[in-house]
Amino acid sequence: MLELKGIFKWYHSGNNRTFLLKNIDLSVKVGEFISVMGPSGSGKSTLLNVIGMLDTFDQGEYHFLNESVHKLKEKQRSILYKQYIGFVFQAYHLLDELTVYENIETPLIYQDIKSSERQAMVADMLDRFRIVGKKDLFPAQLSGGQQQLVGVARALIANPKLLLADEPTGNLNSKQGEEIMELFKELNNDGVTIIQVTHSEKNAAYGSRIINLLDGSIEH
Amino acid sequence: MLKNYFKTSIRNIKVNKSYALINVSGLAVGIAACLLLFLVIQFETSFDDFHPQHKKIYRIGSMFNSQEGTSYSGGVSFPVAPALRVDFPQIKQVASIYKHEGDQITVESYGKNLPKKFNKTDVYFTEPEFFSMFKFSWLTGDAKTSLSEPNNAVLTREIAEKYFGDWESAMGKTITRNNKELYKINGVLDNPPQNTDFPLGVVVSYSTLSNTIAKINMEDWVSTYSGACSFVILPDDLPVQKFNNELPVFAKRHKPAEYAKDTYIAQSLDDIHYDDRFGNFRRHTFSHSLIRALMLIGIFLIFIACVNFINLATAQAVNRSKEVGVRKVLGSNRSQLAFQFITETALITFAAVIAAIGIAIAVLPLLNQLLEVKMTMNFYNNSILLLFLSVVGVLVTLLSGLYPAVILSGFNPITALKSKISTKKAGGISLRRALVVLQFGIAQILIIGTLIVLNQMNFFRNASLGFDKAAIINVDIPGDSISKSKIEYLRFKLQQNPGIKNISFSFASPSSNGSWQSDFKFDHSTKSTDISANLKWADVDYFKTYGLEFVAGRQYFPGDTVREFVVNETMVKKLGIINPADAIGKELNFWDGEKVGPIVGIVKDFNSYSLREPMAPVVMSTWKNVYQTINIKIKPGAEKNTLAFVEKNWNEVFPDYVYQYKFLDETIADFYKQEDQLSKLFTIFAILAIFISCLGLYGLVSFMVAQRTKEVGIRKVLGATVGNIVYLLSKEFSLLIIIAFVLAAPIANFIMKKWLQDYSYRIEFGVTVFLIAIFGSLTIAWTTVGYRAIKAALANPVKSLRTE
Repeated sequence: MLELKGIFKWYHSGNNRTFLLKNIDLSVKVGEFISVMGPSGSGKSTLLNVIGMLDTFDQGEYHFLNESVHKLKEKQRSILYKQYIGFVFQAYHLLDELTVYENIETPLIYQDIKSSERQAMVADMLDRFRIVGKKDLFPAQLSGGQQQLVGVARALIANPKLLLADEPTGNLNSKQGEEIMELFKELNNDGVTIIQVTHSEKNAAYGSRIINLLDGSIEH
Repeated sequence: MLKNYFKTSIRNIKVNKSYALINVSGLAVGIAACLLLFLVIQFETSFDDFHPQHKKIYRIGSMFNSQEGTSYSGGVSFPVAPALRVDFPQIKQVASIYKHEGDQITVESYGKNLPKKFNKTDVYFTEPEFFSMFKFSWLTGDAKTSLSEPNNAVLTREIAEKYFGDWESAMGKTITRNNKELYKINGVLDNPPQNTDFPLGVVVSYSTLSNTIAKINMEDWVSTYSGACSFVILPDDLPVQKFNNELPVFAKRHKPAEYAKDTYIAQSLDDIHYDDRFGNFRRHTFSHSLIRALMLIGIFLIFIACVNFINLATAQAVNRSKEVGVRKVLGSNRSQLAFQFITETALITFAAVIAAIGIAIAVLPLLNQLLEVKMTMNFYNNSILLLFLSVVGVLVTLLSGLYPAVILSGFNPITALKSKISTKKAGGISLRRALVVLQFGIAQILIIGTLIVLNQMNFFRNASLGFDKAAIINVDIPGDSISKSKIEYLRFKLQQNPGIKNISFSFASPSSNGSWQSDFKFDHSTKSTDISANLKWADVDYFKTYGLEFVAGRQYFPGDTVREFVVNETMVKKLGIINPADAIGKELNFWDGEKVGPIVGIVKDFNSYSLREPMAPVVMSTWKNVYQTINIKIKPGAEKNTLAFVEKNWNEVFPDYVYQYKFLDETIADFYKQEDQLSKLFTIFAILAIFISCLGLYGLVSFMVAQRTKEVGIRKVLGATVGNIVYLLSKEFSLLIIIAFVLAAPIANFIMKKWLQDYSYRIEFGVTVFLIAIFGSLTIAWTTVGYRAIKAALANPVKSLRTE
């Protein structure tokens, strides 16, 4: 599915180069469920952002579904990413002034999908996550677990091939967290490739492979 | 997609109500002011453009060259039009129109009641050709038949209804002008539009002129009447430049050799409303520079309002950063986000435009009252107005929305999501500072300008004119000789009232709108002087009534005819005499010996025109036959009884005429009506500019206070006083306003010095005006900022820190 070769990312502080990512080699196959672990500041989120094409890197190669991401222009990258990648955040990042329904619908709008089609897709998603009754509520009216459910629904609405999750259960209690992880497992069984960043061994166990990061490098 | 944008925009606006309110109200006030200015400019630039041939119509004006320079008049001598017809056969259309002011019209009421009398009426004498040149529509009658015979008159609908109740019954009835001439109503015109410099009312056939009792000399090439205008339609093969080159030859051919320096000049009808050198029948011109000034003010106001928008939007950007981040992660690209923010701006602008229309509709009647016009705001038949509003809407949206949109949509999604966007990153504090400086710079230019205009107005009102104008009324007296013979009787009757201090009869008051000017021969010279003397015919009591002081010689002896002259200091100077006493005994000769006499006294200078004009050379003498006004000085406190007394006695002496009086200081104040209107207009716009700027400042400060709540809390915990905090929050704005002032002051100084050049008598403005401007704006800004600052400083620090 994707392959990182010798990825470096750094910034300058004074004359010193501080590395955020150091010589990352990683290949992910379709259908994998990977958990990225490591202490704070080890570069987990940066790696996820690089994979998600939200962030750039300074050196190395990145191939995604036969496309060389490092050679693509911003616009092409954006098309690629819109089509294949979904994101879930620790802080949910729902749009406060949109309802549940509208939040889930938004990615489709940016993909220029017709209104009638959008309605059907959102309705399916609401059914699948059993949140039809909440579709007209605003994020502030939901519990954390429900908000993250909406966040996942929103990430999945455009049928991504790859789901990236940055500590998806970090703000949830253990029961809510378990539910989300169960959901991820189901999705993975349905064929969605998942990469999650997590601190919890328990959550990492849901995955098929664990990658440990330390100071920007993968530990073997 | 658009629907989604609208939804988000409206919900966003709802969440940030106060921010939206500041934006909408600032923009609405700015746009409303702009809209009203547009209406004013549209109205003033539309004058007489409804005549189909307006581009081809020219007025023949007069140009006088003398040692003082060139002066102009919109009028000509009476024989000009007939001579043009003969000398320029290629000009097919020539028309004369003569406006005579201040006539009394008597309307017979056919037995029922006493006849109705209307005074101060303008009567227009014109040829039928006038109406084939200019498009005024007829309700009944037509130009050819209605005005072909002498003593035929045409009324406009408004006047016909005023005189006869309804216009249909006016036909065939008669009116009497000045109790002497009987005219038959032979047609009715529809009311002329508002935007014409030909405010017709009573129109009389031109052939009547040579038959009037006053017997105007239609062959006189020397006298120029400002009300006597000649219009031509220039054919295509005679361009105006060529015509203007031929007019001096034409003038030389006809004018007596002595006046060969003077010539004629063709002025396009399209210029008549703008050129105050020539004037027009409406007595109201609107210069191009004034139009430009108003346009500039409109642009300024819109700009100031847009600045508010930009400042608040970029300051607020931090709060929107999360939304930008999420939307980007969800797949929005930059242009989609920018478009979304522009949509939001467009919504706010749309609301502002709607509010602005409401404000404009409410304010328009007041503006009409101030400017004494009847403008209307009609969207059905004023497509340009609609276009203007749309253009303003789009421009404002782009001007105020584009920059914030570009900034907001440019956020990096990761930084935006981590809420690491600071106010500094979001669109540069320096830009916001620069805009505030610009805003207050403009506002201060307007303040300084307004203060100087107001000072100049004040100067006009209070300047010493060289004569006493307090508590003096001018009462008109009829022009016919029978009435003139009753003058002494009226004087005797009025003298019985102890409330009257002085009574004098004269041609005019020392300072009046109408004037009588002439050249003359000095000291037995055979050639006329180059000096155009202002003739003030008055009895000997005039000096006492107006407190005129003599610098040499004595006042003339009482009399009814011209025997001796008194002149003023300016006249002596113009004659080249250094010591005024040397002028005494020298002879003045008017009109080739018609009025001759020696100079017997020299009075101190007094202003006989408005203070726009320089001091004029004045010649005074007695001449009972031309007296038109009674000058009555009333003792203080006796005004009410005396006014009634004068009216009663006047009506007894002249029962056939209408009594009319006016206080002299009001007459003089009327000279400056246009300046007065302008100064009021400027004041309003300066206040608006300050208001909008402060609105923006308030928004900005509220925002900054919210951003710095934690800082304020920490500082208070560390022991800062309320004063420290207020100083902390307001010092930056004070500095910005001072910078704005440093930039604005020289610009305002330059503009206002230039404006004052137009006035012969003008104020010298010093530092005071500038001090008032800077301290005024600082005070206003402090008040605006202070409220928020004090509120923040008084807040309990524990609370503000807990929110973190």
